[in-house]
Amino acid sequence: MGLRNFFERIEPHFEKGGKYERYFPIYEMVESLVYTPKTVTTAAPHARSYVDMKRIMTYVVLATIPCIIMGLYNVGLQVNSAYETIPVSGWRAAIIDFVGIGFNAANPLANIAHGLMYFIPIYLTTLVVGGIWEVLFATVRRHEVNEGFLVSSMLFALILPPATPLWQVALGISFGVVIGKEVFGGTGKNFLNPALTGRAFLYFAYPAYMSGDTVWTPVDGFSGATALSVSASEGYQALAANGVNWMNSFVGTIQGSIGETSALACLIGLAFLLITKIANWRLVVGCMAGMVGFSLLLNMIGSETNPMFAMPWYWHFVVGGFAFGLVFMVTEPVSASHTNVGRYIYGALIGFMVVMIRVINPAFPEGMMLAILFGNVFAPLIDYFVVQANIKRRARRNA
Amino acid sequence: MPDVQTQKQGPLARFLAMPPDSTPKTVFIAVALCLVASMIVSATSVALRPLQEQNKLIDKQKNVLQVAGLYEPGMNVLEAFSVFEPHVVDMATGTFTDEFDATTFDDRAAARDPELSIRLTDDPAGIGRQTKYATIYLLRDDDGNIDKVILPMHGYGLWSTMYGFIALEENGNDIFGLQFYDHGETPGLGAEIDNPRWKALWGGKKLLDDQGELQITVAKSAPAAGSDFHVDAIAGATLTSVGVDNLVRFWMGEAGFAPFLETLKAGDI
Amino acid sequence: MAQTKKTLLTQPLVDNNPITLQVLGICSALAVTSSLQVALVMALAVTAVTGFASMFISVLRNQIPGSIRIIVQMVIIASLVIIVDQVLKAYAYDVSKTLSVFVGLIITNCIVMGRAEAFAMKNPPIDSFIDGVGNGLGYGALLLVVGFIRELFGAGSLFGITIFETVNNGGWYVPNGMLLLPPSAFFIIGLLIWAIRSWKPKQVEEREYKIQTVEGH
Repeated sequence: MGLRNFFERIEPHFEKGGKYERYFPIYEMVESLVYTPKTVTTAAPHARSYVDMKRIMTYVVLATIPCIIMGLYNVGLQVNSAYETIPVSGWRAAIIDFVGIGFNAANPLANIAHGLMYFIPIYLTTLVVGGIWEVLFATVRRHEVNEGFLVSSMLFALILPPATPLWQVALGISFGVVIGKEVFGGTGKNFLNPALTGRAFLYFAYPAYMSGDTVWTPVDGFSGATALSVSASEGYQALAANGVNWMNSFVGTIQGSIGETSALACLIGLAFLLITKIANWRLVVGCMAGMVGFSLLLNMIGSETNPMFAMPWYWHFVVGGFAFGLVFMVTEPVSASHTNVGRYIYGALIGFMVVMIRVINPAFPEGMMLAILFGNVFAPLIDYFVVQANIKRRARRNA
Repeated sequence: MPDVQTQKQGPLARFLAMPPDSTPKTVFIAVALCLVASMIVSATSVALRPLQEQNKLIDKQKNVLQVAGLYEPGMNVLEAFSVFEPHVVDMATGTFTDEFDATTFDDRAAARDPELSIRLTDDPAGIGRQTKYATIYLLRDDDGNIDKVILPMHGYGLWSTMYGFIALEENGNDIFGLQFYDHGETPGLGAEIDNPRWKALWGGKKLLDDQGELQITVAKSAPAAGSDFHVDAIAGATLTSVGVDNLVRFWMGEAGFAPFLETLKAGDI
Repeated sequence: MAQTKKTLLTQPLVDNNPITLQVLGICSALAVTSSLQVALVMALAVTAVTGFASMFISVLRNQIPGSIRIIVQMVIIASLVIIVDQVLKAYAYDVSKTLSVFVGLIITNCIVMGRAEAFAMKNPPIDSFIDGVGNGLGYGALLLVVGFIRELFGAGSLFGITIFETVNNGGWYVPNGMLLLPPSAFFIIGLLIWAIRSWKPKQVEEREYKIQTVEGH
């Protein structure tokens, strides 16, 4: 236990009165990352459980693994397929050439390797830049750095288009961490999802890099529209002509942000989160109900000019960021509603808004990001009314 | 003796000495203030009216100069504009009309006037009512031959109605330039219709092919007719580009200036 | 009198800034700060209106009947705003086109009414004028800071002069489109308030709640 001894030896320096008292948060971060946190709840009336915050956050990161793998595979697949018609170029290709993996789109390993070349720089940038902000705020405010950031940074990296320039990644995560979380006091006090806040910032600040047809496959000269933007302009029936069918949308071999193309991978993550009871199933049910209900309604209404009206719910589910957002963002406990009734309403509101934005708004083909942020803003209000209703009901009962 | 005291003061001083909340004073203050305020406001308005009218005119003329490629910052717009010959065109017949004074005819007001406009049933540009008369500008060279024609057009983009001009060469088919002067499209995306680089793409394009079919289009890739008839859509601004495509095709088509361009090509002007 | 003429003018710049401390006049600050030129003209317009409105109201303060006080103030402010609007249309047409309705909306700007009601009704004309101008300048100073950030990073230029050549014009700078949209002013003003209150902790409001400590932790 050399490491344990090391921590014990240096710990006094970081405690109150020690030499490096100011830097205790950094010490604590490293220590609790390696060992279980020392401060656990002991006094009544708390229920005791082994599920502490560290474990919750670690589980969420674990749940994203299927999405990461599918994302890496898909980014590599899209790039390698594009290279079949476009000359190979760039430093990533040079490295792959050097290692000798090749650009065969039929080889899953080659695809994953190529996907890694895109994902790793984005993820590292997110981690380093976001981490610097976290530590800075923790040090100034004298609180501890917590694992919530590991989740935010992973989710943020997964919802970016693979062609995102790294300086934009850095700006986006900075905005997400500072405005989405730290201005409200840090993890647990944020009412917006930090990863989505950063993504939304990039979407409005650099729309040409976050939407359009050239950002989903990071190959110069290649242009491929996402399933949603094809549907928005020509109707979902036109997807087949673009080589997109329901099955490959479900598996996730289509154009889209790094980690959110595969509904299948998201469902595996969802199963894991539900079994470990980290995700609240009411949120999922509410959101699905809202989405299915409103899209069925629009199917019935129909529209001659807007082909999106006809898109059935099972298509809404597999294209764009719906599945990913549902599994990892809607279920995020801090920014969701906290009452059980509120969770149904919150979920349904998001499900409704996604379809609303996708179908009726002409400017934004993808609706999940904005819908969830919208839901985040309303969550405290929903809770308030649920609690008020409960108080009234009980007052009547006891009157 | 307070009575004597009051007697000695004039009526004005007595009035001022009344408590502010007394009814006569409240009424007096209200009336007086309204009178003074309205006089000052109308005086300013009347005094500045000519300057404001001139500004509006200069603004409109500046856009015409810009689309014709004649505008330079700091130039005397009113003087430079005198090279243009405004005319009011009867859209249906494609000929000039003398019914209106071309220097003061207001296209936008005409488009709202039921007498001077028609409700469109087929309305790709999303403008609602189409004016029966429109102001166009002719630019002649030194010999008095027509050099360019400037035609107004407008249509709906993503968020707003976009107002602009198109400048055509003397043959009524080659595009010289295009310019929007009023729109509310997304900054950085749709608003790139103001970008000089994108506007430069229009120069040298043609409206009609050899068979006289309207071919000009704004699209992501060139149509079958060839690149002479194609302007690249703005990256990331699909719906604004579609809007520009619709409005150019509408105004250059039969419901727009096609009859006038026929007259122009026939040399009847 | 506790406030000298100098503090009347300088207090509203930072210590008692109408936007960052009193959080008044936000909506026009969002709308007119996308470029510096427009922000500057708006700042001058508001300064002129607050200054003169406060002065005129102060001149009449002993004659204004309490029952129609607000209406009288409104008439004076509205007249001034219309005059400013007309002058802008005559002498700064391009800017007035961008400012459009927001010049007219100075009438409803809480700063103008606030100074008239809180200061001019109780103080002599010269002091009121200086107080009005000071508050106008406080508002203007913030407008200029926000306008500076938004135009520089949103369009790569200052006062319309290119500082960073943007990508679309063949340069290197990728402009931040969000800064051209009104909500960005919210973030910038929020961050400025944060910065100012960290610098001058006196401005931090008291919490509306109390954190209870529980034994046993």
